[in-house]
Amino acid sequence: YQMGVKELLGLDKLAKLATTVQKIGGLRAALKQRYLMDVTRTGTLVGEDKFGNKYFEDNSYFMPRNRWVVYPDRVWLDYDATQVAPEWHRWLHHISDETPTTNPPKNEKWVLTHEENSSIFPDKKYTPYATGRTKIQGWKPQ
Amino acid sequence: MLSRVAGAPTAALARLASTQATPALSSEAPKGMGKTGTPFLNTSSAGEYAVARLDDVMNMAQRTSIWPLTFGLACCAVEMMHFAAPRYDMDRYGVVFRASPRQCDLIFVAGTVTNKMAPALRRVYDQMPEAKWVISMGSCANGGGYYHYAYSVLRGADRVIPVDIYVPGCPPTAEALLYGVLQLQKKIKRKREAQLWYRR
Repeated sequence: YQMGVKELLGLDKLAKLATTVQKIGGLRAALKQRYLMDVTRTGTLVGEDKFGNKYFEDNSYFMPRNRWVVYPDRVWLDYDATQVAPEWHRWLHHISDETPTTNPPKNEKWVLTHEENSSIFPDKKYTPYATGRTKIQGWKPQ
Repeated sequence: MLSRVAGAPTAALARLASTQATPALSSEAPKGMGKTGTPFLNTSSAGEYAVARLDDVMNMAQRTSIWPLTFGLACCAVEMMHFAAPRYDMDRYGVVFRASPRQCDLIFVAGTVTNKMAPALRRVYDQMPEAKWVISMGSCANGGGYYHYAYSVLRGADRVIPVDIYVPGCPPTAEALLYGVLQLQKKIKRKREAQLWYRR
C-alpha cells in the first residue's frame, strides 16, 4: 500500500468525514447523531421494524460493529437494547445473515407483542406473590 | 407488604392488557426540556423547577462516573473481568474498578456469598461512602443458586445488603452485566434527592 501526500497529511480522512456528514444530512443532523449515539457514521438502510427502529449495515467496519440500530426520535435518550424487535435481534447479533424483510417470520397468533424490559420501572415491574397456602399461621395480637 | 401482595395480581392483569394493546407510534422527538433526557418534566413551581435541574446535574455526575468495587467471589468474577476488558470496555461508561471501598459507588457481588464471607461483604458495604449501589451478579448472589441448599452458603446477597439490580445467569455474560450497569444508570437518572429535600 503506497501512501500518497493526501494520506500522509490525513486529508483522505477529512474527505471521508465530509462525505459522511453530507450523507447523514448536514452538520445539524450529524451533531444530533453525535448527541444521541456518540458516533458519526452512515451505512445502507437494511430495514425497519414496526416500532420504528432502523437497521443499518456498513461492512467497512469490523465484524461486530458493522451492524447497528437507530432508535426512533420518540424514545430520544431513553433507548434500550430490549427495544429491538426479536426477529431483528437475530440479524443484529450476527446469529443469521437473513433479515426479517428478506425472510419474514411466521406470525403465530399466540405470540405476544414485543415489549421493552420494564423491570426497573416501579409501576410496571414484576412483584412476586405467593399463590399457594401459607405454611405458617399468624395471630392477631390483642 | 400485604397491599403489595394484594396489588400484584391486578398489576399483572394490567400488564397483560398493555401487551395486547397496540403501542401508539409517533416518531416525534421530545420538545424543550425533554431534549436533555430529563425525567423531571412536570414541575409545578419555579422552586421545584430549580431543584429538578439540580437533581439532573447531580444524577448526571453520579451516573457517568460509577466506580465499582470488585467483589469477585467465583466464576462470575471472570465475566466481570471480561466486562472490564477491551471488547466490552466498561471505561467508556465511566465505570472504573477501584480497589478501596472508600472510593466506590457500586459493588458487584460476583459469585457465591458463603456464610463466612457474609460479614466481610457487609463490612465492605458499610465502608463505602453514601450514594452507593449494589449489583448482584449471577444466580448464587441473587438467591443462592446452585448452592441454595448448601449448609455454608448465604441464600442471596440481599440477605445482608440491599441490592439494586439483579443480573440473572450462571454466570451472566459480560453483556448481561453491561446491561445491568446501564439499567442502574437509568435508575440513578430518576433519583430525586434535591426534590425530596425541597418538598420536606
